[in-house]
Amino acid sequence: MLCRLTWGVIRVTDQRNCVFSANYRSITSCYKHESRCSSMPSLPDSPPPVPPPVPVETHPNRTVGVKPTAAQRALPDPNRLAPEDAYYTSSLPRARPTQTGYDDSLRVLNGNSGTAASVAALRPPPAVPGVGSRKVRGTSRRRRRKGAWKKLLWVKQSYPDNYTDTETFLDHLQRNPRVRPYDFWPLVADSTVIVQHVSSVAIFVCCFVGIVQGRVSPVSVVCWGSVGTALGWIFWDSWILREHVENAHVAERSLEGDDGSSSSSMTSSVNPSGTSSRANGQKENQVHGLGLNMSQGESSELLRRHSTGYVSDTYGAQEPASPTPGPANGALGGGSGSQEPDYLSMFSSRNRQRLSTVKSAFLIYFALLGLSPILKSLTKSTASDSIWAMSCWLLIMNIFSFDYGSGEGAGATKFPASLSTNAAVMASTVLASRLPSTTHVFSLMLFSIEVFGLFPIFRRQLRHVSWTGHVLLTLALVGVAGGAVGITLRGGWMAAVVGSILGSILTALAMGGCSWWLISLQKYKNVVTGPWDPARPIIRRHWD
Amino acid sequence: MTYNIAMVSDFFFPQPGGIESHIYQLSTKLIDRGHKVIIITHAYKGRTGVRYLTNGLKVYHVPFFVIYRESTMPTVFSFFPIFRNIVIREQIQIVHGHASLSSFCHEAILHARTMGLRTVFTDHSLFGFADAASILTNKLLKFILSDVDHVICVSHTCKENTVLRASLDPLMVSVIPNAVVAENFRPPEPRPIARPMEPNDIITIVVISRLFYNKGTDLLIAAIPRILASHPNVRFIIAGSGPKAIDLEQMLERNVLQDKVEMLGSVRHEEVRDVMIRGHIYLHPSLTEAFGTVLVEAASCGLYVVCTRVGGIPEVLPQHMTTFAKPEEDDIVLATGKAIAALRSNKVRTDRFHDQVKMMYSWTDVAERTERVYKGISGDISPEEFYGYYPGQGWEAGRDRVRSFALIDRLKRYYGCGVWAGKLFCLCVVIDFLLYVFLEMWFPRANIDIARSWPKKINQKENKRPGSTYKGDRLGPAS
Repeated sequence: MLCRLTWGVIRVTDQRNCVFSANYRSITSCYKHESRCSSMPSLPDSPPPVPPPVPVETHPNRTVGVKPTAAQRALPDPNRLAPEDAYYTSSLPRARPTQTGYDDSLRVLNGNSGTAASVAALRPPPAVPGVGSRKVRGTSRRRRRKGAWKKLLWVKQSYPDNYTDTETFLDHLQRNPRVRPYDFWPLVADSTVIVQHVSSVAIFVCCFVGIVQGRVSPVSVVCWGSVGTALGWIFWDSWILREHVENAHVAERSLEGDDGSSSSSMTSSVNPSGTSSRANGQKENQVHGLGLNMSQGESSELLRRHSTGYVSDTYGAQEPASPTPGPANGALGGGSGSQEPDYLSMFSSRNRQRLSTVKSAFLIYFALLGLSPILKSLTKSTASDSIWAMSCWLLIMNIFSFDYGSGEGAGATKFPASLSTNAAVMASTVLASRLPSTTHVFSLMLFSIEVFGLFPIFRRQLRHVSWTGHVLLTLALVGVAGGAVGITLRGGWMAAVVGSILGSILTALAMGGCSWWLISLQKYKNVVTGPWDPARPIIRRHWD
Repeated sequence: MTYNIAMVSDFFFPQPGGIESHIYQLSTKLIDRGHKVIIITHAYKGRTGVRYLTNGLKVYHVPFFVIYRESTMPTVFSFFPIFRNIVIREQIQIVHGHASLSSFCHEAILHARTMGLRTVFTDHSLFGFADAASILTNKLLKFILSDVDHVICVSHTCKENTVLRASLDPLMVSVIPNAVVAENFRPPEPRPIARPMEPNDIITIVVISRLFYNKGTDLLIAAIPRILASHPNVRFIIAGSGPKAIDLEQMLERNVLQDKVEMLGSVRHEEVRDVMIRGHIYLHPSLTEAFGTVLVEAASCGLYVVCTRVGGIPEVLPQHMTTFAKPEEDDIVLATGKAIAALRSNKVRTDRFHDQVKMMYSWTDVAERTERVYKGISGDISPEEFYGYYPGQGWEAGRDRVRSFALIDRLKRYYGCGVWAGKLFCLCVVIDFLLYVFLEMWFPRANIDIARSWPKKINQKENKRPGSTYKGDRLGPAS
């Protein structure tokens, strides 16, 4: 019974849609006919069938993103509300796929508005009794014919209240105004960040399995990890130092009267060897954060207007990436002899920072050493199943809440989000209770801090500094992770090689597939904006 | 032809506000035109049961669980028994709901359709499409408005918004603006002698708004120091309270502007006029606004209006009463400067504003236009005339606009709401119908007493005749 009822409803709904589309065609043809009529030079005195479009600029400051051209406006254009119009700026009357369900309802609505509104415009305004007393301004016939509808509330108009004007109805509607279509390769390049993190998590898990199964000595793991961390720290430190020097240079240059952005662009034109890396850097800049920042042009413009310091900062950060220091850099370095004491003080401050870093490293080291017996027995009484499940969830949480941003722009923190780091450290804590000795626990904890706490900072800085290095690191991580998984599952070097090859291929496929999927999903994007949205106030905080 | 109308909304007196006074004024004027109007709202603190307001306006305060900012809990069916009881008692023919955030109104429209009554919905606000709350509200609105007879919006921008949100046929949406009681917003009584303004006269700028983000308080905070810096003979009066009041006070302290800016805190609606007539310019930096009644009130008090060009605001007042600005700090400073200059050069005849506003907006006009909607949906105006006449189109335009009460037709309309939502909505409607059948059996109509109507005025014949009172009112005593 209910089934049959549903069937009937479906059929009827289909019929309704058919009726709508049929109306479309009839209206379109009718409209064409109408335009042909009006193009004929005859009938000079006859009233125009369509009220002439009056440029009632009620909202002149609103930018109408995709205003249809005059030729399109002549049609009742059922395409006006189509998402493609905003999405493809060419805005050709495209043949839309008929089976797309996503905008079906909107198309129905669209049809409604298009047909009804155009029909409403075709007819002369009906004389409605009861409204008659209201049209003081348009009582005489000539006046009323002339009086075009205005989008105003304070005028008494001779149109009924539910009159819908084809010309102005929804003309400030914009679809997908700030959507930037993704490109395939930048998207793939962006996904390397995720791949890096997932690989490092995989490596950590494999190390733990190796330690538990007694295949790998925990001390060797933590030694290799510590050596890597120390090397990474040295690199990081030198990058930071160079960045500071570069900042000082640029600041000095801008003090000399040159605008920061223009000077750095000058440098780029002088320095041909650095251009490729800068192009890379800029690309990375553009597509950071999964390419989700839509308004790159706008934001860069904002940046330029906003603070030259910021621009110089970003450019300065990319400067050291040039393989060979260009002549411009050298010349600048030579010309700044007067700044020696300034640099000296900076170096000493760097040394102080280094000292404090070493101090805190030792603090962590000894604290872990002291804590490891406690950590070992902390969750000992919990069943192993719970431990595996819990650590699994915590690591998944770590992967999902990790801050994959590039660490620049508004709201970016210098260090990765604390939630993901905490989740990872807690995962290693609960895992540590499955280990046999205090040494094991200490090694695992130290290794987890290195992998989850310090390694992301290094990766972020590396991506900042050198795109090639970033890609190489990604490849290495994917290879090592694949190999580690292979060894863990099968054992033996053969398995490692097979695993790394297989892992690399699978990762590449996943990266490409996901990027393609995201791009193909983008056609379902349907952002509707219009005058009803709350405006975004533009404020200059000059009085702070 | 007179109707028995029930206005349903969560928002009504004793809570102050724009929707509340809209409902009250509209109901009063409809009663003046001979209709019978009752109001159904939820119980407020210390106000439960039935109350009579001036003019025999009966208000039902139904006890109901309030969840957020005086909106009731959206329980799709629980309102039905008492609603049915009220509707039968009062012999209601038309249910008119107000405000899209009021779940009371939505439920009432649904049940009224189940009971075979005509329904009207008035939308007072603008919603976006992006955030989660809006998406939820829009889906709910689409559900309810799938089967409504007519919708009224307060501005053309609001109409566009509602048509998009609820996928409505635009011809089923009328635009009927708000109005003001012009008598309550007169310029200062003993008219100051019209003398030209001297260059050093103090110009007072009035701001009356709740101090919220979407009212543009940030813009105000940024603009005030700059306006005062460039115009020494300017003072500000700010009335209203809200979370941004602290920021405003901090700004005053940081810039030491306490002697030039007076903060009044929140004022009651009756006192708004007394505040307004102390100033020359009304500044309204709102970021979104469906209609902006306060602008009309300010203009009626003879203030020159500076406002942002957002939402429905550009439709509300004519060019010579306003200066528009973009919602940007620089532009607001610029526009205010222009307005000050215009006042100083005596270009603006603010003394005429009151009479002009009185001619533009009146509740009598609103009631008459609303009455036409009632006539249209209950068939006293033919559908061709109401929705437009299509000669030779060969397609019955009126057919799907005049909403039939047959359950299968209603289900068809709800089914189109979405793949899953459509089925869910159909389920709700079917349950609602079964509930109705159950109520008819369990609490038969015969057992419900009919309430006596308020005795109508003796001179209602004169009031009922369209045109006579209307014309006199609109032209006003000035003519």
